[in-house]
Amino acid sequence: MNQSARPDRGQRPYLDVVSVGKAFKGTTVMSGLDFRVAQGELVSLLGPSGCGKTTLLRIIAGLTGADSGDVVLDGRNISSLPAHKRNISVVFQSYALFPHLSVAENVAFGLRARGVAKSDTGPSVTESLDLVRMSDFADRPVAALSGGQQQRVAVARALIVNPVLLLLDEPFSALDRKLRETMQVELKSLLRDRNMTAIFVTHDQEEAMGVSDRIAVMNAGQIEQFAAPSELYARPKTAFVMDFVGLSTRLAGRVRHIQAGQMQIETAHGALTANGTLPVGTHVTIGVRPELISPEAGENTVQVTLTDAMVLGSKTLLHGAATEPDKLICELPGMRAGLSRGDAVTFGWSIADTLVYEATP
Amino acid sequence: MTLRAERIGLLALPGLSFLAIIYALPLFMLLLKSVQIDGQFSLAEYQLFFADEFNRAVLWRTIRVALLTTLLALAIAYPTAIAMARAKGIWLSIFLVAMVLPMSVGVIVKAFAWTIIFRTRGVLNDVLMSFGITDTPVRMLFTETALIIGAANVFLPFMVLPIYAVLRQMDTRLPEAAASLGATPAFRFLNVTLPLSLPGVVAGSAFTFSLAISMYVIPSLIVGERQQTLSMLTARSFLYLRDEALGATISSILLAIAISVVLVSSWLAARLGARQ
Amino acid sequence: MTGTDRLFIAISWVIATCCILFLMLPIVITVVTSFTSSAVYTLPPPEWSLRWYRSLAQRAGLWDAVKLSLNLAVISTLISLVLGTLAAIAVTRGSFRGRTAIATFTVSPLMMPGLVVGVALLQFFREIGLRDAYWSLLLGHIVITLPFVMRTLLASMAAFDFSLVDAARTLGLSYPKAILQVLVPNLAPAYLTGGLFAFLASMDNYPISIFLTDARNKTLPIKMLQYLEEQPDPALAAMSSGLILLAIIVLLIGSRTVGLNRMING
Repeated sequence: MNQSARPDRGQRPYLDVVSVGKAFKGTTVMSGLDFRVAQGELVSLLGPSGCGKTTLLRIIAGLTGADSGDVVLDGRNISSLPAHKRNISVVFQSYALFPHLSVAENVAFGLRARGVAKSDTGPSVTESLDLVRMSDFADRPVAALSGGQQQRVAVARALIVNPVLLLLDEPFSALDRKLRETMQVELKSLLRDRNMTAIFVTHDQEEAMGVSDRIAVMNAGQIEQFAAPSELYARPKTAFVMDFVGLSTRLAGRVRHIQAGQMQIETAHGALTANGTLPVGTHVTIGVRPELISPEAGENTVQVTLTDAMVLGSKTLLHGAATEPDKLICELPGMRAGLSRGDAVTFGWSIADTLVYEATP
Repeated sequence: MTLRAERIGLLALPGLSFLAIIYALPLFMLLLKSVQIDGQFSLAEYQLFFADEFNRAVLWRTIRVALLTTLLALAIAYPTAIAMARAKGIWLSIFLVAMVLPMSVGVIVKAFAWTIIFRTRGVLNDVLMSFGITDTPVRMLFTETALIIGAANVFLPFMVLPIYAVLRQMDTRLPEAAASLGATPAFRFLNVTLPLSLPGVVAGSAFTFSLAISMYVIPSLIVGERQQTLSMLTARSFLYLRDEALGATISSILLAIAISVVLVSSWLAARLGARQ
Repeated sequence: MTGTDRLFIAISWVIATCCILFLMLPIVITVVTSFTSSAVYTLPPPEWSLRWYRSLAQRAGLWDAVKLSLNLAVISTLISLVLGTLAAIAVTRGSFRGRTAIATFTVSPLMMPGLVVGVALLQFFREIGLRDAYWSLLLGHIVITLPFVMRTLLASMAAFDFSLVDAARTLGLSYPKAILQVLVPNLAPAYLTGGLFAFLASMDNYPISIFLTDARNKTLPIKMLQYLEEQPDPALAAMSSGLILLAIIVLLIGSRTVGLNRMING
């Protein structure tokens, strides 16, 4: 089932992807997909490779045609418009800077494509380069630039034409970690200043959570949940979302007993209770966020043999012995000494914090 | 035994000395001969050559044919290279075979085949007449047009492959980036694809032009004695006319043209390369 | 993709197909003509016949020419492979000045008018007193084959990881042995490709050979053009078809061992 949560601002959606379907060589990549973004929102498409996020991006950009469905932008159906008429800029993963043009010429490209004479592009180009702090590089060949510099030029090139929508395909994946964080902050503030509507495609959940107002978690051509990062983290709608966004303790089980709106679930590590009323015998996946677990008995309790205690400075992660795909993880604030591999520990947490999802057996 | 880097250079000696003695030296001696009369430096032979109207006509014809051949080959090769760069699987193999087989078969076979095609009683005339395009056989052999078509056919792979190689390497995201920035298909082609394919065009054109200037077998078979090219004139001077001075002069002119083509194309390639 | 894009791509495919047909035309015509029963080149042949192929057996001088051409091609290619390997190693691994110049020099004969080289060699050999046609031809054919070999070897060696040779030396092989047992087998595709193309170039060569032959030593191309002047019958088409078959065999060997794509793109 597709999730398309209503945008916060309660207005008519700016970008409305309606029931889009696409198949490649007989394999259906997506079908009946809905996706709505409000004006000025920064949104991410997050998912593993092959989930269809790049395909969706390309359909919105007009680089790939959808087999069915429509793309509506600001009330206009642009489904049959070719890419160069959509005024939707794209920043590619490899930046796709034109190797035969200088930095300034690259940035001016979009203007020239729209018929602006070369001699008139100067002021706009200078302004755009200033915005990304690349003015000193105006006449350099692009091959001489570092990854971060290339990315900034790509962004300047995309924004100079005042696009109605900006699409970015894994724009930070080629950068090293430190640079990535700096660029994310810079880009986000740049886009906010212009009230630009932007869609990021990424497989990195931390990146998505860092830049987005809302994140659409995609799996196998479906949007499993489309919500703000905090919502995704605290109330993931499916086991996939729970696994993909953040860490979790996860246990497979079966509903054994229902009573007063609560389920008793049998797992390999004992009986646990959760809110909900799935029929007896249903296979389920139980999940709990590690920081909601304490090393003492709680409403739900599990006896754990530690396989590892990772002291990470600001937190300590306790890993318990469990058979894949089960996981037992507890996160404690600060540094906890005295715990090591082989110790017997109790994990406890509240029933309210217990997430339950139907699972295929 | 450690082989110092400088000593490795010695390995090149056998091959180098061979080429120096059996290739560079003879060419140099030939050049020398063309600027000498009786052991004295003189450009008289060149003056004699250019003074003769027949010779000038031959020179002009040689250059003209080479230029037209190159242009014709380029006109066919460019769209072919574009299609080839997009080809996959069995289609790509078909393209590759279509390029390499003619190259491997050799000039003799192909030039001879074109004489069969162009004959008065040959294949092309039969086809034209059976389709009612002409009533009497068209005389095609021994015409410059036939020569250009035949030469373009022989040199076509040398024009296609360099352009194909460059197009194939081009980042496919570039035209897409251009489209997302608002570039129409025409703008995209003129401002992205074409400039980036230029190195291949230069390489292919230089090689084709060079081959066309110095070709001997093809004009011998297709146009024969009636419309000679520079190389045919050279061969005649040595083999039949026994006028070695003339032969040496023309050879030097051919050599000069060949070297200029290499230099100009290298310079062009360097300029294009510097911007990329 | 827009409609315009699709149109242009369609046009390019049409032209490309015409190009392929255009390129194949001479080859097909040759082969078809060789099976004609008549003594003239009319198509389609009135009757299919092998008479021209059979006539090849009686052709004066044909088989001597074939043998000479094969001999020259094989020997000159082998010599070029050896000289080329040494020179390519020197250029790739050495650090002396002028390496690029040497590389360009060894490939330069490809860009020179063959005729001019032939003439120059003729005069040079005469000058130094070399009268034997066979040796003149062999030397000339090495000049023909060496650039082909150098071109592919230089490209391949530039991409070769020489630490493999170093590893072999630390394991006990001397430098020459290491080259033979590590470099050569790993560069086999380049050797094959360069060698095959060099072989074909030598078999096909006319402009250099014509100046170095004498009455008793004629290579196949020279003999064929001679037949063309004296007796232009479809037997020539049969001879050509033989050369076409040779080229196909060579390409099959190449594509099975190295792959067509690698042969062409290096």
